[in-house]
Amino acid sequence: MNTNSPADPPPLELRNVTKFYGDFKAVDDVSFTLAAGSICGFLGPNGAGKTTTLRMILEIIKPTRGLITVLGRPSALEVRQRIGYLPEEKGLYKKMKTWSVIAYFATLKGLTRKAARQRALELLERYGLKDFAAKPTEALSKGMSQKVQMLASIAHDPELVILDEPFSGLDPVNQQVMEDIIRDMAARKRTILFSTHVMQHAERLCDRILLIAKGKKIFDGTIAEAKRILPRRVRIETDDDIGPLRELSGVISAQPVEPARGAAGPNDSTHWELQIGENADPQAILQLCFARGIRLRGFNQSDPTLHEVFMRLVGPEAREAAFR
Amino acid sequence: MKFAFLVAWREYSENAKTRGFWISLLMFPVIIFLSVNVSILLETKATPVRHYVLVDQSGMFAAIVDSRLAQLTPRPQPGTNASGAPQRPFQRASVPAMIDTNADLASLARDLKPWLRGEKNVEANGREVRLDAAILIPRDIDKLIVRPRAAKAGKSDATNGIEFWSANLADPRLRDEIEQAVNGEIRRREYLARGMDSAAIREVEQTRALFASLNPAKEAGREAVSGADVIRQWAPSGFVYLLWVSIFAISQMLLNNIIEEKSNRIIEVLLSSVTPGELMMGKLLGIAAIGLTMVSVWMAALFGVLSWKSGAAPDLASQLLLALKTSNLVPMFLVYFLLGYVMYAAFILALGSVCNTIKEAQNYMAMITMIMMIPLLTMPFIPKDPNGAVARLLSWIPIYTPFTMMNRVNASPPLFDLIGTTLLLLASTAASLWMAGKIFRIGILRTGQPPRIVEMLRWLKG
Repeated sequence: MNTNSPADPPPLELRNVTKFYGDFKAVDDVSFTLAAGSICGFLGPNGAGKTTTLRMILEIIKPTRGLITVLGRPSALEVRQRIGYLPEEKGLYKKMKTWSVIAYFATLKGLTRKAARQRALELLERYGLKDFAAKPTEALSKGMSQKVQMLASIAHDPELVILDEPFSGLDPVNQQVMEDIIRDMAARKRTILFSTHVMQHAERLCDRILLIAKGKKIFDGTIAEAKRILPRRVRIETDDDIGPLRELSGVISAQPVEPARGAAGPNDSTHWELQIGENADPQAILQLCFARGIRLRGFNQSDPTLHEVFMRLVGPEAREAAFR
Repeated sequence: MKFAFLVAWREYSENAKTRGFWISLLMFPVIIFLSVNVSILLETKATPVRHYVLVDQSGMFAAIVDSRLAQLTPRPQPGTNASGAPQRPFQRASVPAMIDTNADLASLARDLKPWLRGEKNVEANGREVRLDAAILIPRDIDKLIVRPRAAKAGKSDATNGIEFWSANLADPRLRDEIEQAVNGEIRRREYLARGMDSAAIREVEQTRALFASLNPAKEAGREAVSGADVIRQWAPSGFVYLLWVSIFAISQMLLNNIIEEKSNRIIEVLLSSVTPGELMMGKLLGIAAIGLTMVSVWMAALFGVLSWKSGAAPDLASQLLLALKTSNLVPMFLVYFLLGYVMYAAFILALGSVCNTIKEAQNYMAMITMIMMIPLLTMPFIPKDPNGAVARLLSWIPIYTPFTMMNRVNASPPLFDLIGTTLLLLASTAASLWMAGKIFRIGILRTGQPPRIVEMLRWLKG
C-alpha cells in the first residue's frame, strides 16, 4: 500500500501554520515536514499547542493562517481513508461490542462492513483481546479500552497515523504493547506522528522529534541532534581535590552533585559532574586522574537525556509537565 | 452522503437494541389492547360491587330505591355466557341483627359505624361483605320535604332528612341514584295528592321532537352526523398526543446520543472520519428511522387491534376504525411527524453539541419542554373550534404547526392554511437545520461551560 518514492510528496507538511482562539495565539507560525515511513515524536509542555496542531492537521479545526498538506492533498478530509487518528481524550461507545466499535470506525474509513469485521477480529486476536471481542466495551479495563481505541484508529491500515498522547494512563505492560503496535506499523513503512510527555517513549521510538512551547516550534531534528544541544558529562566520585581537572582542555565546568555529609564547602564534595565539550575525550580525564594521583571510587560517562534537553529548551514551563 | 448513512445505520442499529426503544415500541400496542379489552372487563367483572344497607322507617321508599339500583346493572354483551354476565354495581345487604332499626337516626348511625368503618362485615347473598354505605330514611320524612311556595319544611328533632353514611367520598353515584329515586317517588306522590295523573305526566315528560345533526360537508343523502363523525372530530387529538410523545421521546434519544459522544470523547475520532455536516445528518436520519419504526408499529397495532375488535355492531372500535379509514389522519400524522421531528431535532442537535453533560443539557431542555407544552395545553380546545382564531394563530407558528394542524386535519381547514402553514413549516425546518449546522460545527468540539445565547448567535453570523 505504501509505495512512496523520493518523488512522492511528503506524508505531512505544515507551512507557517498559525491558529488564534479569539486573541489567544495557540499555534504560532509552525512549519515542519514528515518523511515517509518515519516515527516522529511531538513534544511540548501542557498548553503548548500540540493537540491544536494535530486537530488542524486532521482538519477538525481550521488554521487561521498557513498551509497544511496531508498525503499530498490540501485537505485531510480528502484522504481521510488513509489517515488514522487516536485523540488525547479517549472514549468508546459503552454498549457496543468491542469488535463492533473497531469495525464501525473502520467502515467510516472506507472498509466494507464484512472486511471491517474481519479486520477487527484479526486485530483483537493479535493483541490478546480475542476473548473480549463480543463483550460490550464497558466491560473492558482502562488499559484494554485504550488498546481497543488504538486498534480502531489503525484498523483500516492507514498510511499516516496521528496519535495524541497514546501512552497516557497506561500501566508499563500496556505501554509496552502500545510501543509494539507503533513499531509494527513503522516496520510496514507507515508514517507515525505521536505526541507525548514521556521522554523515554520518544527516545525509544522516534527517528525524529518536534518540540513546541507556547505555540512555537523550538526544536526539529533527530534525537542525537537534540542531545547535542547539551554538553556531555562525566561523573566522578573521589575524596581528593579535583582542582587539576578543571584546568583540563575540553572540561567546561565541574559541579558538585551532592555535598559530602559534614562538608564545610562545595569543594569538600565527593561526587562531581564535569561537563565536557563536544569533541572532548573522557579518557583524557581518566588519564589526568592517574597522572595527578586523584583516587577514583567511581567514573561514569553519559550523554544528556532527552528529558534534560526538554527541560533546558522549554525552561520553566517544563516544570508544569514534570508534575503530570 | 455515504458516511452520513453509515452514521445513521449505527444510530439506528444501536438504538434499536436498547430496552427503552422496545418498551416504547410495545407500550402503545399494549395500551391500545388494554383500553379496548379492559373497559369491557371492568364493566363486567372488575367493577367492585358496592354494598349498602337501607333502613326506611317511613316504609315509603325502600322498594323504589331497590328497583332503581337494580336497573343500573349493565346489559350483557351479545354472546356472553352466564358467568360473564355483568354484576350489579350496588347490592343491598342485610342490616346486622343486633341493630335496632326502629331507633332514632342518631342511634342507628352510631350503632352502624363499626360496619361503615370496615371493622365488621355485613351479610349479602349468604356472604360476608364490607359495608360501603348506609341510607337512613327517618319515620317523619314527610315533614321534611321541601315544597316551593309552601311553609318552610319542618325540622326533625334528630335529623335533617334522609342520611347517607359512607366513608367513600370519591364515588357519588350511589348517593345521586338514591336521591333521584326518592325525589322521583316524592313527586309521583305529589302528583297523586294534587289529583294529577302521574302516568299522563310521565308520558308528557317523555314527549320530544326529533332532532338530527347534519353535516353539509358530507355526501348528499348521507349528511346525518354519526357516532363515527363525532369520533372523527376528536380522533385528531389522540394523534396530536401520539405526535407529541413520539417527537419528545426520540428527541430525548437524540440528545442522549450526542451527549454520550461528547462526554465519552468519541466525537473527535468521528470528526477525523466524517465532516460535522455528515455526522449531524447521520444522527438526524438514524434517529428519524427509529422514530418511523416506532410510529409505524404503533399505527399497525392501532389498525390491528381495532380490526380485531370491531364487529358488525356499531361499537367504538368499528367506528374508530371507520374514522381512521375515511380520513387523512394517518398520512398527515406521518407528514407532521417527519417535519416536526426534523424541526425539533435541529434544536436538539444544536443544544446537544454545546453541552458536555446531561445535567447541562437539562437546563436548555426544560425550556424546549415548556415550549412544547403549549400544543398539549391547547389540544382539548382546538377540536371545539378547529378553524377559530386560536387554532389558526397557532397553526402559523412553525414550532406548533405540526401539532395544531394535526388537530385540525378532520375539520376541513382552509386550503390557504393547509398549504401555507406546510410551506412555512418546510422553510422554517430548513432554516433550523442550517442554524443547527452552524452551531453544531463549532459547539461539538467545545469543552467547558456551555456558551451564552449571544455567543451562539455570533456563531451563526460566522
